[in-house]
Amino acid sequence: MQKNVLARFKLLLIMVMACFILLAGRLAHLQVLEHDHYRDRADHNRITRFPDPAPRGKMYDREGEVLVTNRPGFVVSVMDMGDGFDPETVSFLSDTLEMDEEEIWERIRGQSRFMPVKLQEDVSDEVRVKIAEQQWKYSGVSIDAQYVRDYKYRETGGHLFGYISGGIIENQAVLDRWEEMGYDYDNRHVVGQDGLEINWEPFLRGKEGEQLVEINRMGQKVAELDHRKPEPGHDLHLTLDAGLQEAAYQALEEKIEKLQEEADEDEEKPWQGSVVILDPNSGAVLAMVKYPAYDPNLMPEKYMEKYFNAPGSPLYFDAIKQTYPIGSTYKPVTGITALEEGAISDSTTFHCAGAMERAGITKRCLGVHGHSNIYRAMAVSCNIFFYNTGLEAGIDALSHYTQEFGLGKYTGMNDIRGEKRGTVASREYKERRFGERWYPSETMDAAIGQTFHEFTPLQMAVYVSMIANGGVHYRPYLVQEIIDGDGGTVMEAEKEVMHQAGVSEENLEIIQESMNLVTEPGGTGYYPLHELEVEVAAKTGTAQVGRGITPHGLFVSYAPYEEPELAVAAIIEHGSYGSTSAAPVVNDIFEYYFSEDEQNGEEGESSEEGEEQDD
Amino acid sequence: MISRQQVRNFDVPLLLLGVGLAVYGLVVIYSATHFVDYVEDPFYFVKRQSMWLAMGLAGIFVVCLLDYINLYYWSRYIYLFAALLLVLVLIFGEGTARDPDILRWIRLGFIDVQPSEYAKPALILMVAKYLSDKQKYLGNFWNLLPAFLYTLIFMGLIFLQPDLGTSLVFAAILLGCLLVAGIKRSHLMAIIGAGIAFIPVLWQFMGSGQKARLLVFIDRSHDPLGAGYQLLQSIIAVGSGGPWGRGMLEGPQVQGGFIPEQHTDFIFSVLAEELGLIGAILLLLMFFFLIYRILWIGTQAKDTFGTLICTGVAVMLVFQVVVNVGMAIGVMPITGLPLPFFSYGGNALLANFLSLGLVLNVGMRRQKIQF
Repeated sequence: MQKNVLARFKLLLIMVMACFILLAGRLAHLQVLEHDHYRDRADHNRITRFPDPAPRGKMYDREGEVLVTNRPGFVVSVMDMGDGFDPETVSFLSDTLEMDEEEIWERIRGQSRFMPVKLQEDVSDEVRVKIAEQQWKYSGVSIDAQYVRDYKYRETGGHLFGYISGGIIENQAVLDRWEEMGYDYDNRHVVGQDGLEINWEPFLRGKEGEQLVEINRMGQKVAELDHRKPEPGHDLHLTLDAGLQEAAYQALEEKIEKLQEEADEDEEKPWQGSVVILDPNSGAVLAMVKYPAYDPNLMPEKYMEKYFNAPGSPLYFDAIKQTYPIGSTYKPVTGITALEEGAISDSTTFHCAGAMERAGITKRCLGVHGHSNIYRAMAVSCNIFFYNTGLEAGIDALSHYTQEFGLGKYTGMNDIRGEKRGTVASREYKERRFGERWYPSETMDAAIGQTFHEFTPLQMAVYVSMIANGGVHYRPYLVQEIIDGDGGTVMEAEKEVMHQAGVSEENLEIIQESMNLVTEPGGTGYYPLHELEVEVAAKTGTAQVGRGITPHGLFVSYAPYEEPELAVAAIIEHGSYGSTSAAPVVNDIFEYYFSEDEQNGEEGESSEEGEEQDD
Repeated sequence: MISRQQVRNFDVPLLLLGVGLAVYGLVVIYSATHFVDYVEDPFYFVKRQSMWLAMGLAGIFVVCLLDYINLYYWSRYIYLFAALLLVLVLIFGEGTARDPDILRWIRLGFIDVQPSEYAKPALILMVAKYLSDKQKYLGNFWNLLPAFLYTLIFMGLIFLQPDLGTSLVFAAILLGCLLVAGIKRSHLMAIIGAGIAFIPVLWQFMGSGQKARLLVFIDRSHDPLGAGYQLLQSIIAVGSGGPWGRGMLEGPQVQGGFIPEQHTDFIFSVLAEELGLIGAILLLLMFFFLIYRILWIGTQAKDTFGTLICTGVAVMLVFQVVVNVGMAIGVMPITGLPLPFFSYGGNALLANFLSLGLVLNVGMRRQKIQF
């Protein structure tokens, strides 16, 4: 071994010794000199992390009115302070929170130490006071502020907003979409479960903060050492008109309750209905209602008890998820088809003697209308005219133009998912579904919106919008703008053309005019809407759903006739005639909207006067 | 195969120190893990670590059978094999449940292999061989470059996992071997200077977690919720342990689960809280004698290759001990290096025993004539 190598080893050894001595010195400093300080910190306090929840994004209507927000509430939790849970503590909590002891044990068993386990959220003031008073006796019990979701409009917007709850999301499509948005889904979190809440979860959720706190032996916070502030969720500004939504819900509710009272014992009672209102110039959803709906404030607690088996299936959003035969509200399609195909002109007449026979089958009309052209036939809803018109045009053309007007096609609604596609009566459909060929009598049924035609209320609203706006299918949308916590725009929706119906302007104008006549004297929609000052184009419908079963009542319309602002589709299941069930509902909606409009106008012109009146 | 002389030369105290440290570690691992709720058996971690300890002892036996001079010829292949494993871990590797993005293990079903642990002795052999070959020409700076290359390849591969702490162990090994092999002082200074200059570049490539840990070291109040929390809890544990400790299984910081990674990276905090300054100093003394013994064998080696093996192993251990203990008491940044022989972690334990085996081998076949 060379001398110089030995010397280098010595150098290495000295360096090692120096390092070890430094470590030992620092250890002695901590463990001897500062020992009391650290012993104190270890014994009397614990430092732990608590999550600091982020306020979920709010939702506003088109005027900026708050629809969904968060209100302060209190949550009771319990945590293991290092030596397990005390049966006395559990028994106290069981009494105070009115929960089974077994249930509490179930929740806390196997939970990590120093991690609070939530037992009851949004507790009453009474419970809050009781816990606060007696907390000192029971270690690990805490009561903390929390956000509670507050749905201002209760049932009125139930399905639109959805609700939030813990629980695993099983819908893979939803999970995939969230992942695409870069959302880190954690199944321990409370997340959106329906409507906008689930669809916009990644934007609404915000980012949870965290508090580094010292807790004492009882599990109470003594000091906050650090705080990472939560980032609030993004706010949704909706296209919705809250007043209109409410008016629609109330009108439906009143009508359906009244119809239930009037219905005979053995009749199929009307339990539910839907209304969809679109801005025909953009596809913006102004209102979308299904009655009855659930109150999101009560979800998920009352899910089973109150809603699961309730009549009218309040959990289900039929406005986009249910398909119906649409009866005579389909007749504008038959009309435009025949006009486009050149099968009729606006002067073509057919004679109605109350019934007609074709290929050995007798088809009836609800009245005896004599000779009528398309204007009169639409106004009085003459079946005979449209049977003939349908036969002239043929089923293939009918199927084609049905889809041209967005019926039996996805509307493209993305802000709330789950819309149904419906079915279009056609040769192919019958062949595929039943393996049978098409009969001409079925063309006659199809021409008045029966047989296999089945569409959603949302599709009907798109369809009537297209008649109103010259044939443009705008994608229906509900979220106008997403705003982040700093007021910056995250996303802004613009109207999007999905399709332009291949029909001529003149023919569409004939249909518009004929639909306007529906609400004129002599038209089927005259009586229910006769008090309105605004000009309305509409079509009534009464859809047969089987022998001896009360038919569905339908009504599609838009107003004002010259410059449409609203396109409305309404249906009351088993509501009988459209003109006596759905049409009065729409009348109430128009009355609300257009009289409100006038008031607004007056206020705008002379605001001072308005104030004086208020006094 | 093994002569009587060689058996007589077998350094029993060194083996006992290594085994002693590991057994000491088992006791503390039990204290740190007996209550964890995701395994039922309170001895689960102890049993697993004991199994690796047994493998380690068998490993020492195997390593000592053949003259280490054979390894001189195999070092290149050992190095290449280790490099291959390091590449494989980047392709097929997996992380922990907590940090799935950190690729550390190759899962073979029955066992998890952590290639970076075995890369340490592999590099020691490679560098020792190279420097012993070129010992006479080390005055020329260019002759150092291949040694740098060997080291940087491993460091780079491990840095990509990413595991900054472990990759720095390799730099320490190289520096130690260069020092003992006898490079010019000016060269040594230049290398250290270059290393420091390289830090800003490294910073660019570091993950946010690594950056946070380093920032906490510089400024305690930085990110107290994350890395600062670990450090604070660890220091409270050490300080509250006091001269005599809280007693086995009695430390509230440990038993309350306040210390993060307490059976691996922060095992020293557990020791210091429960067994106090006495227990901690005992550990440091055991390490010191272990290192001293390794260096002593290095001075007795029959050739430079053997001397450098001992140097490399000693530096590897010292670096990890100083960084790990320093981290627990707040004088080193949190880098996630385990405490050799002591922390829970089978691959590290086995690799350390294999390295110890290399040293014992050098000692068995040392010069007959001592000076």
